[in-house]
Amino acid sequence: MTKKLIGLVVFLLAVFIAVPMLIAATGRTDLYYVFTSVALLSIASAGVWLTFFIGRINIGQGAYALMGGYVSAILIMYYGWSFWWTLPVAGIFCAAASILIGFPILRLRGVYFAMVTLILTEVMRLLALALPITNGAKGITSIPPPGPISLFGMTLVPDFATLQNPRIAFYYLSVMLMIACFAVLYRLVHSRIGHICMSLQQNEELASSIGVNIAALRVMAYAISSFFGGLSGAVFIGATQSIYPSSFTVTDSVNFMLNCFLGGLGYVFGPMLGTLVLYLGWNLLFSTGEFQLLIYSTAMIVLMLVLPNGLLSLGSFKRRG
Amino acid sequence: MPGPSITFTWWIRRLMEQVIANGLYLGAQYALIALGLTLIFGLMNVLNFAHGQMYVLGGFITYTVYGQLGLPFAVAVICSGITLAVIGGFMERYLFRTVIRRSHREESTMMLAAATAFFFDAVMLLVFGEKQRGVPKIVKGVFNDFGVILPYDRILVGLIAAILILGFIAFMKYTKTGRAMRALAQDRVAAQLMGVEVDRYTMIGFALGAMLAGLVGGLLVSITGVNSGIGGPISIKAFMMIMIGGAGVVSGAIAGGFILGMMESVGLTVLREYGDVTYLVIFAALMMFLSIRPNGLMGKPWG
Amino acid sequence: MSHILEVKGLTKRFGGLTAVNDVSFGVNEREILSVIGPNGAGKSTLFKLISSFLKPSAGEVTFRGERISNLAPHIAARKGVVRTFQETTIFRNMSVRDNVIVAHQLRARASLLGFFAGSAEARRDEVRFAESADEILSFLGLDAIRSELARNLPHGHLRALGIAIGLATTPTLLLLDEPFAGMNHDETMKAVAMVRKLRERGLTVLLVEHDMSAVMKISDRIVVLNFGEKIAEGTPAEIQNNQRVIEAYLGVEDEAIGL
Repeated sequence: MTKKLIGLVVFLLAVFIAVPMLIAATGRTDLYYVFTSVALLSIASAGVWLTFFIGRINIGQGAYALMGGYVSAILIMYYGWSFWWTLPVAGIFCAAASILIGFPILRLRGVYFAMVTLILTEVMRLLALALPITNGAKGITSIPPPGPISLFGMTLVPDFATLQNPRIAFYYLSVMLMIACFAVLYRLVHSRIGHICMSLQQNEELASSIGVNIAALRVMAYAISSFFGGLSGAVFIGATQSIYPSSFTVTDSVNFMLNCFLGGLGYVFGPMLGTLVLYLGWNLLFSTGEFQLLIYSTAMIVLMLVLPNGLLSLGSFKRRG
Repeated sequence: MPGPSITFTWWIRRLMEQVIANGLYLGAQYALIALGLTLIFGLMNVLNFAHGQMYVLGGFITYTVYGQLGLPFAVAVICSGITLAVIGGFMERYLFRTVIRRSHREESTMMLAAATAFFFDAVMLLVFGEKQRGVPKIVKGVFNDFGVILPYDRILVGLIAAILILGFIAFMKYTKTGRAMRALAQDRVAAQLMGVEVDRYTMIGFALGAMLAGLVGGLLVSITGVNSGIGGPISIKAFMMIMIGGAGVVSGAIAGGFILGMMESVGLTVLREYGDVTYLVIFAALMMFLSIRPNGLMGKPWG
Repeated sequence: MSHILEVKGLTKRFGGLTAVNDVSFGVNEREILSVIGPNGAGKSTLFKLISSFLKPSAGEVTFRGERISNLAPHIAARKGVVRTFQETTIFRNMSVRDNVIVAHQLRARASLLGFFAGSAEARRDEVRFAESADEILSFLGLDAIRSELARNLPHGHLRALGIAIGLATTPTLLLLDEPFAGMNHDETMKAVAMVRKLRERGLTVLLVEHDMSAVMKISDRIVVLNFGEKIAEGTPAEIQNNQRVIEAYLGVEDEAIGL
């Protein structure tokens, strides 16, 4: 218990104090954008991880990130909503959509589910291209930065437009959301719900024979997963101030899945670590120019051969012997 | 005197004949791509994300041997097939086998497959660049009769693809290797108990699947050309085909290939003005179809 | 005397094949009833029909007068009809005790949200489940292996764990799927004793089985299927002397009947 607490404190110190201090020391404020991306992408990856946890391979998270992004952008631009209100609404919209989509497709298993979700990403991109409200390939641009949040006349969050460096603000926002999402995920997995989900992952027929409503539970997990996806997409468009049909594509969906694999499917914090390593790794390799993809993919293959159960399995190896 | 209605029916018939001819041509090549993918899936439950990249590599090899070195087309295509078979064999032996043995969850092979797909993309981009590459036509002229217009080279490639499909079916049915692989696909444990050398035939199967991808890539470079960016989209199309027909089943892959070929051919004619809408409709239809038939037309119950 | 479970005109067709054809029988409360038959007789289809894992083409299954044959399996389980699986079907990556604890889902009083938030009700549930799991494990003699990972267990223990999982749902009627398959004589004797203990616990047991000798020892009554149809029903002694049963079994294999 104390060990976990120490871990949490170290983690909080790192993200809230060490990272900003390091960035200030090196003067590379562009890194804020990188870490913001990592935080937001790891929220989406956490959703994918949850679907893995009930035994489904989800390559469709890009669809919900795109959907969440568009919901937020449309509400801000066409209906004059505040950015802050669009965040929960985007998440809930995606969760609701995923319930409708999930009921039929969650009956599929294995590669069939994986492929249908992959196609879902493509469907969403094509829809964004075709629908009038999403403005086709031109996308929605010049989205204003988030406004202030006040409670009883007290300004809790300042207007992002007035900030000297809104990047730092987005960094803190993303990291806080990431911590909240992983806290939810951690609690979910370590409560009885997690055990039931695990029973689903291992054997759906047996789970249903002990009275678990497997259809409802699958949809619930998928809805939470899509909520994460939508939320992450909505914050993303706040940070980039624009969204296009190509903002989240099949490649992103595949990457979310890879983040989970790389971190480890058996560990709640796997998707966070996986996202950090893959995203940072890809960006660090940028200087290698045309060899970037070659080195990246080779490293991935080697990692898979050495640690097929994810980076975090390194710790459990040590413990075992 | 032909009235307006007769002209219209005549026009519809012409159109349909053309659509069916195009659909058959597309279907034959698609089926061949899907066969390789479904073979690998059936044998080892691996969804090979790199299948499209293998196809592209086959295309580049034929491009080099036939288009650049000037050797006969047939030699070039055979080179594509052999090279891919060797690569496939190595991939199974040194990558997939290791990961399958050591991983807790068999889905981990998906990450490996995706990584190899990236790897192939990277290598091809470095070696062949990102330009579209084409080769001289293998046969000139256009078939134009019975209301159908189809270049001779397409007919030839379609026929070769059909022959390869029949050859593959015969191979799986009548040779010892083919029978062993079918036993393996049906029930790995039972096959092992019956004395099938599981490791050996899995490797042969992977090599064979890769070879099929290489062969189609080589054949089609003569018509559509090749560029290093189309691997991913080809993989997705191949996934769709095996889902329509049912993953891991030979007849399903063939059916899926021809159905997708027809759908594309019809869609591109009927929805021509709307461009991408064809695929939106196809994708949506596929999602609905799979919700009703979770295992495709003839798939194994557990994908 | 009215039956607790009533099977009426149950029929299942797969395409052109009729796997179960117009089968009717009843199960009395606290009875051990076995369904036997040669391979391919339709036993496992019948089993899945009764446990609501398959929908019948015709006919129905009623439990305490209520129709259960068109319900989802988890609803049938809620009503008290619970099946076990053959050995491979357990939660492989959980410990034995966790397997049984998780199977208590039906007895949860707290909602999922309660479990998520860790409400007082949920914590009471957890304590009850753990106590009940320990009771079940010691009842079935699995005390010693409770912290083993389920996937490391030998066959006999897996079968017992399957039953423990079933018991955790507090069923009224427990359906056992070939509980003696693949066991040697000693293991079978132990399993037979275990099934008898289930009845002492107040359960009604319906089992589908291939092993004739065990069935003869354990059953109050036996239903015999052949080619999807019921060819006999009665006490073990009656079945043993039934000419149609002997023919059905001799037609397939002589040693299975143990006569």
